[in-house]
Amino acid sequence: MAEEQTEQLPAQQVEAAGKAFEQEFERFARFGDAAQLAGLDLDAALAEQRALSELRTRHLGKKSALAAAKKLVGRVAAEERPAFGQLVKEIEDKVVLELDAVELNLKNQIEEKRTARETIDVTLPGRRPPYGHRHPITLLRERIEDIFVALGYVIEDGREIETDFYNFTALNIPDNHPARGEADTFYTNDGFALRSQTSTVQIHAMQRRGVPIRMIAPGRVFRRDTPDPTHNPMFYQVEGLCVDRGITMGHLKGTVTEFLRRMFGADTVTRFRPSYFPFTEPSAEFDFSCFKCKGAGCRICKNSGWIELGGSGMVHPNVLRAVGVDPQEFSGFAFGLGIDRMCALMYELDDIRLLFENDVRFLEQFE
Amino acid sequence: MLISYNWLRDYCETQFSPDELRERLTMVGLAIDAVERHNSDSVLDVEVPSNRPDCLSHVGIGREVAVIAGKEVRLPRVESFKTEGRAEDLTAVEIKDVDLCARYAARLVRGVKIAPSPDWLVQRLETIGQRPINNVADVTNYVLHELGQPLHAFDFHKLAGPRIVVRRAAPGEKLKTLDGLERTLTNEMLVIADAERPVALAGIMGGEESEISESTTDVLIESAYFEPNSVRRTARQLGMDTEASRRFERGADIEGVLRAQERCVQLICELAGGVASEDSIDIYPRRFEPRTINLRPHRVRDLTSLSVQPVDVVRILTGLQFNVSEEGEQLICTVPSWRIDVEQEEDLVEEVARHTGFDKITDQLPPASASGEYQPSEMKQRLLRRAFNAFGFDEAINFSFIERETQFEPIPLLTTGEVQQPLLKNPIIEEAAFMRYTLLPGLLNSLRHNLNHGIRDVRLFEIGRVFAMTSLGELPAERLALAVVATGGANEANKAQAERDLDFFDVKGALETAIDWMSLSPLSFTQTAAAHLRAGQSARIKLNDGTEIGTIGRLAESVAANYKFRYPVYVLELDLDTLLNGPARVVQYAPLPRYPSVVRDISLLLDRSVSLDELLNVVKDRQVADFRSVKLVGIFEGGNIPSSKRSVTLRLEYRSDERTLRDQEIEERHAQLTSSLLDTFAAEQR
Repeated sequence: MAEEQTEQLPAQQVEAAGKAFEQEFERFARFGDAAQLAGLDLDAALAEQRALSELRTRHLGKKSALAAAKKLVGRVAAEERPAFGQLVKEIEDKVVLELDAVELNLKNQIEEKRTARETIDVTLPGRRPPYGHRHPITLLRERIEDIFVALGYVIEDGREIETDFYNFTALNIPDNHPARGEADTFYTNDGFALRSQTSTVQIHAMQRRGVPIRMIAPGRVFRRDTPDPTHNPMFYQVEGLCVDRGITMGHLKGTVTEFLRRMFGADTVTRFRPSYFPFTEPSAEFDFSCFKCKGAGCRICKNSGWIELGGSGMVHPNVLRAVGVDPQEFSGFAFGLGIDRMCALMYELDDIRLLFENDVRFLEQFE
Repeated sequence: MLISYNWLRDYCETQFSPDELRERLTMVGLAIDAVERHNSDSVLDVEVPSNRPDCLSHVGIGREVAVIAGKEVRLPRVESFKTEGRAEDLTAVEIKDVDLCARYAARLVRGVKIAPSPDWLVQRLETIGQRPINNVADVTNYVLHELGQPLHAFDFHKLAGPRIVVRRAAPGEKLKTLDGLERTLTNEMLVIADAERPVALAGIMGGEESEISESTTDVLIESAYFEPNSVRRTARQLGMDTEASRRFERGADIEGVLRAQERCVQLICELAGGVASEDSIDIYPRRFEPRTINLRPHRVRDLTSLSVQPVDVVRILTGLQFNVSEEGEQLICTVPSWRIDVEQEEDLVEEVARHTGFDKITDQLPPASASGEYQPSEMKQRLLRRAFNAFGFDEAINFSFIERETQFEPIPLLTTGEVQQPLLKNPIIEEAAFMRYTLLPGLLNSLRHNLNHGIRDVRLFEIGRVFAMTSLGELPAERLALAVVATGGANEANKAQAERDLDFFDVKGALETAIDWMSLSPLSFTQTAAAHLRAGQSARIKLNDGTEIGTIGRLAESVAANYKFRYPVYVLELDLDTLLNGPARVVQYAPLPRYPSVVRDISLLLDRSVSLDELLNVVKDRQVADFRSVKLVGIFEGGNIPSSKRSVTLRLEYRSDERTLRDQEIEERHAQLTSSLLDTFAAEQR
């Protein structure tokens, strides 16, 4: 082989190497046009890429014919060397150019196919650990607590089984009041009451903390109602109390309105109507503009535009006296509302018994 | 209570339409549930607050409307009628139980002709949903709805004596009331009797025997004041609720007794003919004393922030028929006899405020004072909830009352000795008459509910109070508990992982995570039997100071069978009060290692009774130099390992703070630990 080569002139050898490349490259030449690659799938394209890479090594590598021919420069006459150099460069450039063009097209084709193959369905569900849910009453209770803590209130809770004094007497509920009856309030065998409102907590808190005081008492209360779609013998309510010097009904209205705006949106409007509760005087029930229809009338507000939410008023002087606070020096307001009721309104529950059935299909709808 | 718009306008002029009245009355505290058209009239359904019995009539509502409209209320004018003979010459009245009847007035109308009422009367009654009966009965009903005073007409000739005796019933005495039911009475019930027997249930309903009939010619008209509590109690006991009882039990107008009676007698004479007795026998042993209250006008502003001109304060109060006189800065107000709700200055403030309008009160926030505060454990509880959520547990809430339960071990510290559940005197759900001492029965019922609906994987937790009797007459003990129930798969099967059944360690892991999130000291678990847990899969949970707080394990078969559970159920219950107040985890920075550590694994073939804790304690107690940590790598059972044994693989870490340990040093130290373990537990190394 070496003998034969020596017989050829260096320039001839270079040209022969170029020709040899052209011959072998012929089958790749069409790939210079990217459209010609369209039919190749990923595996075929990868095979072609490998073949092309081998071709490059064979014709441009250290052991290629072209490399060998270049080494013959020493045998070229000095005056022909520039022309020889020019020839070598021309052929080499052509080889490189042709290889690069096809390689680029192949690379693009491979990238395209690979992208297609690795494309994911982004609409598949995300991978998540099992996730449980807080009870909707807890969700609301926490929101309510957050709002009132931000308004400077302390959160209090207390016993659920109470004495007559805390459940009724201290709250100015007269001895003959129907709420004290066994038809309305649960009693234990030895005569203690299951608290029928969390106002009991207000009394304990005023005794312990004294006044001034700002507090809310969210908690579980009991009333002797037969379970039906709108009643449960147990429910959650939150009661608020603010006692200080100079507290007025203006502060009551302002506080309840601020709370409801934070809860239901800044455009919430409230309405206070005179009412009667033994533990407040004056007393008021409050309504707020329907959060759903904004007052236009809908199913939730029974087409009135208003939703009745709770009771409120100025703390009855007898209640203040019961905890040793002078009603001439201090005044206060109190309000109460049902968390379950709020829950029923917000989520449009048609049967509040669901709240305590703990069906996971129900619980998992919240949060 | 239904109010006829046209009828109401007899007593007060008003330009307000029925719908306007609805709005205006609502804003003075008389909520109108509905306004309905009725022929040429409108009917207002008024929700009267329980302390305002004076509003349970057309005149009563008229008094409020008059103030709203700035007009005067016009009481019905009593026309003259024919009279003859003094009542005491014809009959007699005696009140035996003055404590239950403070006033009783009887008047006679003789020679009436019982007939249907005229159209105007029939229409008025029908408009407000009352059924017309005959002229005499209808008149008593009409005056009740006009003035609010319940009245009763007896057929005078059916009364033995003929006389009236107001007394407590004899025990077991019987009375057939107008609704045709025979009532058995107790001696707590007040009756109207004649000389021989009860003829009416005082303030509630008349008796059938003395009922007005077509043959009635002479009637005795009763107008009285009965003690509210007595009427309420009797009505409740007998399951009765009448127009009369509703008014008496809230408090009638004791001073209005004669006026209503006179109005009634006049209408009877007019509509049924007859001649009235010249007067009434009016037994009034406990005279009404009008109440006088001083109002300092500035109290209106102090309590409501409303600035009401003194002239408006006087206008409102006199409009409501308070007698007002000025004395220096104060207004001396005499309360009308029908306003039993007005007892003190604040009540007068309310009268002024509601007729000025709560909507006139400007909203304002009280000036800032102290900063807000959560309950001390609230943030920990929130983390606890979220930790259990993160492990797939849903939060449940159950009723506080359950059945009588004996199968569950109570949480420690709730009670000493056998737990006594507080019993409800008046349960509403028959099978839930006891207060819960454990949250588990509620949760297990919830679990069963879900299983019954075809849900197999259920994980629930609940935070709530549990109760136990202490001693009779003492408030029961109450503690906050946490309980967990879980069954089914530990995870949802998918390509990444095969489904695995949930077990003890899933529940334990969730609790341990919660403890970490709450920054509490780690808990310890010791194998112990508990009544409701399956032997061998039950443990007591302890704080790191040794305080026992609860139990965890697999539900015992005997308990599971009661709930018809067919798959393993894991449960946990602990004293949350104690846990939340337990020692906090102390975090102290440890310098990062400067030299590499080396780990060596050791596999031991051990008796199954040796717990991991025991192994770890030996390793730690041995105090081998440069020993840093130990952890469990794996446990192998079955295969060629005898059934009484198991293989435990531990990974021990060695590291020095001074230099890199040489191989030989590590081997020496590891050999020390290995031999201790092998010796202590008579174990084999595998």
